[in-house]
Amino acid sequence: MSRVDPESNSFESSLVQWTKTTSGLVLMLLAVQFLTGTLLAFYYVPSVDNAHLTVSFIERVLSSGAWLRSLHHYGSQWLSLFAFLHVVRLTWQHGYRDCRGQWIASVLLFALVMAAGGTGYSLPWDTRAFFSTRVAEGLVGGLPIIGKMARLWLLGSNQISTLTLSRFFALHVLVTPFLILLLLAWRLRAVRIRLIPRQFIVAGLVFLALALWALKNPAPLGPSVAEAGPDYLPRPGSQFLWLYETLKYVPGGLGSIVGLVLPAMAILILVSLPWLKLDFLRGRSSDPQRLVGLVILSTCVVLVVVMTSASYISDRRDQRTREQLARQAAQEEVVRHQPFSPVLLNESAINSSSTNSPPPAYIQFCANCHGLHGEGGKQGALKFPPLKGVAQKQRRAIDDIVALLNDPKAYGLEPPMRSFATKLTDDEKRAIAEWVEKLQP
Amino acid sequence: MRSRPTNGPTQPNSTRRALITYLPLGVVAGIFGSILTGAFRFLRPVVAAESDNWIDVLPLTELSGASPITASITTENTAGWSVTTEQHRVYVLPGTNNQVLSAVCPHEGCEVSWESQVNKFSCPCHESFFAADGSKISGPARRGLDPLPTRVQDGKLQVQYRSFENNSRERITRT
Repeated sequence: MSRVDPESNSFESSLVQWTKTTSGLVLMLLAVQFLTGTLLAFYYVPSVDNAHLTVSFIERVLSSGAWLRSLHHYGSQWLSLFAFLHVVRLTWQHGYRDCRGQWIASVLLFALVMAAGGTGYSLPWDTRAFFSTRVAEGLVGGLPIIGKMARLWLLGSNQISTLTLSRFFALHVLVTPFLILLLLAWRLRAVRIRLIPRQFIVAGLVFLALALWALKNPAPLGPSVAEAGPDYLPRPGSQFLWLYETLKYVPGGLGSIVGLVLPAMAILILVSLPWLKLDFLRGRSSDPQRLVGLVILSTCVVLVVVMTSASYISDRRDQRTREQLARQAAQEEVVRHQPFSPVLLNESAINSSSTNSPPPAYIQFCANCHGLHGEGGKQGALKFPPLKGVAQKQRRAIDDIVALLNDPKAYGLEPPMRSFATKLTDDEKRAIAEWVEKLQP
Repeated sequence: MRSRPTNGPTQPNSTRRALITYLPLGVVAGIFGSILTGAFRFLRPVVAAESDNWIDVLPLTELSGASPITASITTENTAGWSVTTEQHRVYVLPGTNNQVLSAVCPHEGCEVSWESQVNKFSCPCHESFFAADGSKISGPARRGLDPLPTRVQDGKLQVQYRSFENNSRERITRT
């Protein structure tokens, strides 16, 4: 379960031994992500008309669905945190020097975990996900030189569509997990695996905490894009709050630099740290590589801590924002407890074949008075006869109904029934007549 | 674990070895166990009860003659987040008190068709043949075609749609 540093002969305090449990933690959280992600894939459908629906089904109908999704949601945030702490721990303990393979794997793993989090955010296709996709689009589109092309490749089209969701889905469930597995396979083959109880104690305790947290806090699921009002305030998951807050302060265009270029450069520098010749820093530090690593990582920590706190504080301080966020949370809670209503899938098949759904022309011109299902209606003193069972009457064959629509008087009908001779095309009249003919009394 | 040959009597080696063996096992079992318990509930198939709706087949006035009459009925099928409608072919036998037969072959579930030239039902998949009253003539099917519950309401023949187990000699309603 754990990868272990080469044995050093020096005495290591027990505290140092405990810090080494970050590797076991990262592996445990990865296992949780793989398990829960696989389970979610049994129900999730990646298309704009089904994504929110299926996630909502997982959340509201399936046993353990809310818990498993919450494990996946918060697990990804905890994984980001511990993958980062793992890199910090390795830097602190000279991992870039003593164990290059582990160092590279750990930095790349952190980058892949963040990429998986970023692509996964779009999948529920609620309003939050939609806006996070928008932001990803903006960040990628704002890249110097390659921006325009990269945006098109990310979206799969010239605007956000179901193609975009499919791409994020493939990146999230196939590409990043595959790369992560490749990385793990490479690493775990290289090291001798030994079972260390300490690793398991920490992993077990953190899992217990995550499981209880997930039980108490369901993962957020906002309204679908169609349902959200214009005043909806989307907020990203906590591992991306720093970016969200930073984008408020940097002028547009620079966002791509802060959100993508700088992180990519930081990752690149960290990965190549073992080979960097930093002689110009020799004067300042006996171990310039460690200095560079720690500077990069502590800059990240400061940026993330400051910006995350700033976003929390600014949301709390502004009364309207605070109230709106509270309203949204309350609304989510209400929706979570509403019964789930399935949607009619093959509506078009029904339209063309038989029964219920009236033709569009009927809905436009007839349904106001005669009712959506031909049940008839009343408006004040006016009564409109039901059309159900009309087929059984005299002179009400399909051709009769078409003729009646052209000239109601000839069939003995009084106003307010009026002629539709010019309002409807012949095909529309026939479609209405055929539909009315099939109505059961 | 780093070996410590200097273990004193306060920490017997066997306890330590047991800890090294069973604690990891316990933790892994706990993590996987709790998620897999959830997974079992999560993946458990949802069985929708067979609907008891009475579905119109045809008005009684259209039911005459000696040969089976083909009709199509529509049922609603709720599966997960969706409701789909399905068309099923049925045969009304005016000669046998308007009995309604499901067109589903009791062999592997293809839909049989009525062949008026030879006066029998034939299954397009594996060549089971059934007589005009639905009884089995030849082929791999183990029983005749399945009748559906019927009633007459307001001059119309109605059925409750059912599906049955394949390949059993007795007729067993699927649940």
